[in-house]
Amino acid sequence: MPENLHATAAWRISIWTTLAFALGTAVAFSIVYFLVAQGLRERSDTWLSGEADVLAQVSADTPRDHLYQRIVREVAELATQEVPDERNARGERLNSVFFLATDPNNSEGPLWVGPSSEDAFVTTIQRSKLVPGAPQSITVEGLRETFRVVVKAQNGRTVYLGLSDRGAKRMLHRLARRFLMVWGGMFLLGFLISYWSARRTLLRVERITETVARIGTEDLEERLPEPVNSDEISRLAKTFNRMLDRLQSSVNQLRTVTGGIAHDLKSPVTLIRGTLESALCNEGNEKWRDSVGEAVEELDRLLQLLNTTLDLAEAEAGALHMDRGPVDFSDVVRQLVDIYHPAMAERHHEVTSDLEAHVVVDADLLLLNRVVSNLFENELTHLPMGCRVSIRLHLHEGSAELLIEDNGPGFPPDIGSRAFERFVKGKHSPGHGLGLAFVDAVVQAHGGVARISDRAGGGAVITLLLPVSVLQAA
Amino acid sequence: MRLLVVEDDISIQQFLKRALTEAGYLVDAASTAKAGETMALEGIHDAFIIDLGLPDLDGLDLIARCRSQGSSVPVLILSARRSVDERVKGLEQGGDDYLTKPFALPELLARLRNLLRRSAVPHNESVRLQAADLQLDLVRREARRGDHLLQLTPQEFALLEYLCRNEGRVVTRTMILDHVWKMRIDPATNVVDVHIYRLRSKVDHEAQRPLIHTIRGVGYVLKYA
Repeated sequence: MPENLHATAAWRISIWTTLAFALGTAVAFSIVYFLVAQGLRERSDTWLSGEADVLAQVSADTPRDHLYQRIVREVAELATQEVPDERNARGERLNSVFFLATDPNNSEGPLWVGPSSEDAFVTTIQRSKLVPGAPQSITVEGLRETFRVVVKAQNGRTVYLGLSDRGAKRMLHRLARRFLMVWGGMFLLGFLISYWSARRTLLRVERITETVARIGTEDLEERLPEPVNSDEISRLAKTFNRMLDRLQSSVNQLRTVTGGIAHDLKSPVTLIRGTLESALCNEGNEKWRDSVGEAVEELDRLLQLLNTTLDLAEAEAGALHMDRGPVDFSDVVRQLVDIYHPAMAERHHEVTSDLEAHVVVDADLLLLNRVVSNLFENELTHLPMGCRVSIRLHLHEGSAELLIEDNGPGFPPDIGSRAFERFVKGKHSPGHGLGLAFVDAVVQAHGGVARISDRAGGGAVITLLLPVSVLQAA
Repeated sequence: MRLLVVEDDISIQQFLKRALTEAGYLVDAASTAKAGETMALEGIHDAFIIDLGLPDLDGLDLIARCRSQGSSVPVLILSARRSVDERVKGLEQGGDDYLTKPFALPELLARLRNLLRRSAVPHNESVRLQAADLQLDLVRREARRGDHLLQLTPQEFALLEYLCRNEGRVVTRTMILDHVWKMRIDPATNVVDVHIYRLRSKVDHEAQRPLIHTIRGVGYVLKYA
């Protein structure tokens, strides 16, 4: 699992697909909901109109005798029983239907069948100024639901038949609730499925990244596994492998060439050096001793230049032979400070070192020794007499940080950030301009960073950052 | 002491032969791995000096073949490769040693002596070293020149001890760094020389005859001249 889930592509992909999915289903549901609501209303309106016609007919046809009210009431009550969901779970009547018949000529007053709160209904109906014909909606004071009302006028009598939308509302409510439950489930399931599939796909990419990173720093022999199917990711793996093939062949070529140069040049030099040296070790011949000594020293300088150039070529191509293991960086720096201290003192430099103990890095000991000694050589060759040099080593955010600070003239402005490039050196610098380039290449090969900067108040700062070993982290 | 040199470059082979003979060894030489193997298996040599880049077989394979046939003679490997690969480092742990070309003759001789000493019966380490009127007490870490006690830092003492152990033999700057500080680095500046100057100012100060001598282009030697 990645440390930060929210930063993964799998997370983002699944969030977006789930959102799109949720939005789509919500729109689909809204359409269904709307259609169902419309269908329900049409059905209840049809029923209302039909029943109102019948009731109006009955009310018109029934003679105005003492039985009139009873007959009409019974017919009306029969009609109300056709309504679904009229009784609740406890079997009580919910009074979803009301019936009102008014007759200005009748002395007995209006006829009412329905909920007991007759007055509220009558006032509402009178205030609503309903017109005969199509069903209309009214809201009765004190009741939550609205009623659809149909008005029929016949023979001077007006008949009102109302139906509460409670049943329809309840049905729609149930529908919405079920949908929300299913929707929530789908949302969660959809998210899990899309996260799982995105993660599975991207894990392959992740594996490619890890392998390529490892190959880049360690072993060019290794290859990515190439799956049989040929989807985009398999093609990516294949492309990487082809690239690694080319990289490896050029690295091998470079090794052959540098090895060849090294071998062809070194044998004669060994011979020359050896011959001169045996001459020097013999007694006598004081006359030419100095000249021969000088020749050997020049030969050594030439070899050093040759070696560093070849090392650098290999380091920059990632072809360095590295034998990495846990190395006590503090020890390395302390040893080298010991070695370089007298030479620094000879030039009247004031050296201070502040080294955190047991900073362990995963490095090639020989290369690390050379990196640090190169940095000290650099201080020794470039500083004018009597400077202050401060050497500090400590752990900083999971890295070993080595800081070498001086109050000398700093890097010449025309060199600036190019100090780590090959053969870049100050006009008056006695070196060959390879030391810092070598430092940079080796540090990079170890997965670290080398930086130079100006020190506040004059001078230069060289910073090395190397990842600490797992041993240190544990 | 009889040595076997396996080196395909004839001029280097001749040079080694001459230098080693001058140093008092009996030297046989071979130019190919095949010839080298035949000579090695005679079992008359005390040490082998084998170049890695042989025409017919890699030097390491030659060593492996000698080892598999029961030879336990110590080997000094010569290599033109700058970065020494792990297999060679592995050999170093097994008691053999390596040297990269170009090498300084004193270093070759020192490593050879070291190899031969390792294969011989270990002798008792003495607690005192003496060179002319210089005396070193290795237990108390004290050095005296005549009656005069020298005020040395631990580093200076280690350096003097190394020079003293090699009395009369030239040691190079690389050898000094390798033995006194266990550092295989190749400084372009005068770091080692400064250590020697400081030591010399303490050891040879006021003395009639100096002990520490500079051999220009090669290194240093401690001798009573």
